[in-house]
Amino acid sequence: MLWKKILAVAVVTGAMLLPALAEQPQVAMYGYHSEVTVFWDPAYSFSNEIIWMHNVYETLLRYDPFTDQFQPVLAEGYERSEDGLTWTFYLRRGVKFHTGREMNAEAVKGAIERTISLGKGAWYIWDAVESIEVVDDYTVAFHLKYPAPMDLTVAACYSAFIFDPAYDHDWYLQGHDSGTGPYTIERFEGNTLMVLEKFEGYWGGWEGNHFDKVVFKTVPSPSTLRLMVESGQVDIAYQLPVSDIQALKDNPNVRIVHTPSFQNLLALFNTQKPPLDNPLVRRALAYTIPYQDVIQGVLAGYGRQARGVVPYGLWGWSDRVKQYTLSLETAKLLLSEAGYPEGGFKLLLTYVSADENERRVAELWKSQLAKLGIELEVRGMPWDSQWELGQAPDPTKRQDIFLFYWWPDYAHPHSFLSAMFQTEEEIVFNLCYYSNPLYDELITRAAELAGIDRAESINMYVEAQNVLMEDVPGVSIYDMEYVRAVNAKLQGYVDNPAYPHVVWWYNCWRG
Amino acid sequence: MFSYIARRLLLALVVVFGVLVVTFLLTRVVPSDPAARWVGPHATADQIAAARAELGLDKPLYVQFYRYLAGLVKGDWGISIRTHRPVLQDLGTYLPATLELILFGLFLAVVVGLPLGVLSAAHNNTPIDHLSRLVSIAGVALPTFWLGMILQLVFFKQLRWFPLSDRLDMMVELLSPVKKITGFYIFDSLITGNLPALKSALWHIFLPGLTIAAYPLGLAVRMTRATMLEVLSEDYIRTARAYGVPETNVHGVHALRNALGPVLTVLALTFAYSLVEAFLVESIFTWPGLGYYASNAIMTVDYPAIMGVTLLISLTYVFLNLLVDVSLAFLDPRIRLG
Repeated sequence: MLWKKILAVAVVTGAMLLPALAEQPQVAMYGYHSEVTVFWDPAYSFSNEIIWMHNVYETLLRYDPFTDQFQPVLAEGYERSEDGLTWTFYLRRGVKFHTGREMNAEAVKGAIERTISLGKGAWYIWDAVESIEVVDDYTVAFHLKYPAPMDLTVAACYSAFIFDPAYDHDWYLQGHDSGTGPYTIERFEGNTLMVLEKFEGYWGGWEGNHFDKVVFKTVPSPSTLRLMVESGQVDIAYQLPVSDIQALKDNPNVRIVHTPSFQNLLALFNTQKPPLDNPLVRRALAYTIPYQDVIQGVLAGYGRQARGVVPYGLWGWSDRVKQYTLSLETAKLLLSEAGYPEGGFKLLLTYVSADENERRVAELWKSQLAKLGIELEVRGMPWDSQWELGQAPDPTKRQDIFLFYWWPDYAHPHSFLSAMFQTEEEIVFNLCYYSNPLYDELITRAAELAGIDRAESINMYVEAQNVLMEDVPGVSIYDMEYVRAVNAKLQGYVDNPAYPHVVWWYNCWRG
Repeated sequence: MFSYIARRLLLALVVVFGVLVVTFLLTRVVPSDPAARWVGPHATADQIAAARAELGLDKPLYVQFYRYLAGLVKGDWGISIRTHRPVLQDLGTYLPATLELILFGLFLAVVVGLPLGVLSAAHNNTPIDHLSRLVSIAGVALPTFWLGMILQLVFFKQLRWFPLSDRLDMMVELLSPVKKITGFYIFDSLITGNLPALKSALWHIFLPGLTIAAYPLGLAVRMTRATMLEVLSEDYIRTARAYGVPETNVHGVHALRNALGPVLTVLALTFAYSLVEAFLVESIFTWPGLGYYASNAIMTVDYPAIMGVTLLISLTYVFLNLLVDVSLAFLDPRIRLG
């Protein structure tokens, strides 16, 4: 009889344990090298927090740069007027904010107006908006001051979230959220841990495979992050050193995903300080960059040489834009023409000191310049110091070459072409101090056409980039690829460079 | 006694004020623009100017310092440039993790270091002594970051005995979260009877705790050994032995009690040193503590956070010193404070 008792106890215990096992939530984990939250308010989020905010908050549309198409999210459809000055969006019905209120035209208007009135973050993407009209409960119209591609604006990575406008910054700082997304904040720990749980009332429903919870965690040590990916503790990791990526390539538990990004490395020349005030010298320098050595030696092949200023994959990139190659002979001819046959001058290059890739690019470049008798001083500085030197009132006190990355606030080439090269009264990011009225006119026209005639807009952006390639106020060296180490079992993950480092966890599951 | 403590407290205020002045000036000498950091990348000139006014950075330096001090008195330690949260709130979030780690490390150092030192002195110049001296030299000499990574490679990657990082297993953290009372996970999970969390917390604290313990452990062994040897040659020990007191009592009671003073002083001071050690250990073990917060603050010239951490550490130093002096007077009847 004893065995019967044992069996009975085993069955009862098993029956008690089974639900416990079944109830084990599906948890995903994202290992991030830096703080997972910097800004708390969705109206002016402008930093790392987008990695979780895009799972909590949604935009009206989502942009797919690979197909140049928009996916409906909170807006099911939209149309624009002939003159491109009125854009009407038709909202999805039956969507609830996590606060319980309904998402409707009034709320959309309120959210965007709050973003604009706060004037923080990337609010300037709404610059073209003159007024927002609530046509009916589920229709909202944007009336513009000038034609602009509002489909790109409402799908922007920053400052385009639709949230319940009834709350203020302090409320968000307490760890609350007011989004419509599939996940909502469960809890957080300072700026290094964010735990999201599924929002039962999500409009997309919860049928099929989805994670119940998603954990975003700061893992500052690359060696620890690598071990976490190898052991399956982390489902996705970004910013592992290239050497670790190479080592992880052969690990069957890890998949390496690399996608062209919209981030590129640029060298901006000081066009107001001799000898780089001479376009011939600047053109010569563009011929001295060892582009291929950089791609192979610094990026281990995870990147491509830039063509123009707009990165590969973003509309506005074109093979009709001139591309420089390494040619010391051509550089020498140009230098001779400019009056420097033996070089004989010294240049100061500044870069962000923590960035190993920038340092290695600068060192490779330095060795090429030395062959032409040009001495390059490579100076690593904290970002704000580098920037402050770049803004020094006297142009001759500034650096000669400013090495840094650029990425767009929304998927628009204008971000690259205006911020760094358009005439600026007060220097912010035009760190080549370049001013060319013809160029300014071209990009202004191109931006206006972007919302009406995309093909013509691209033509003008190509022409503008060729003006830059002729004047060489700066050179874009490479377009980066985002390289991520992903748990081999993770399914449904697609990297979208228009939303850097964002994973839409609702679409992912573990196979 | 009380006038002594009052005088020391007054002196402590002067020291802390001095530290604040120096730190404030140093963080402002470093070329950096906190307003630009505050608004994030790609900000416009107007946004930066607005942030400068919002943060009071457009005011003269002495006004800024006065405002900072006035804030401190009211319990406002400023807002972190990097995290956008009140510094005091940030410190409250991260400090308990660090204190727990350091206390655990010091506990290991005392529990292992003291007996090892006594053993070493009792068996002077024998293989036991040589071994314990090796342990102590290694503990003091090995760089923390190296030791931490080696422990991870051996005990996590190879043997799988201990977890790699964090304070708790993620599933435990999600399914049996620790109810925060003191912020010390071991203590909180113990008093709330949360056994899965207790087990996980102990498991997780072991490797980083051991890394932190290495230095004080080495010191404890060496100090105990040295002071024990000195005490063991005293007359009263010879007398005790002559009276036939058992050797274990001679070492464990009569000698150790007199040898303990200097050891405790040194260990108390290593507490503050361990706070600095935690900077590296916490980064390696993803321990969400003050060290991680401080190293990020320094790297990004987040001056309110730097000031906050410095203030906290200097307060700790000053009060620990005072505490040691006062407690020594209780331990050693020859010391009279006045």
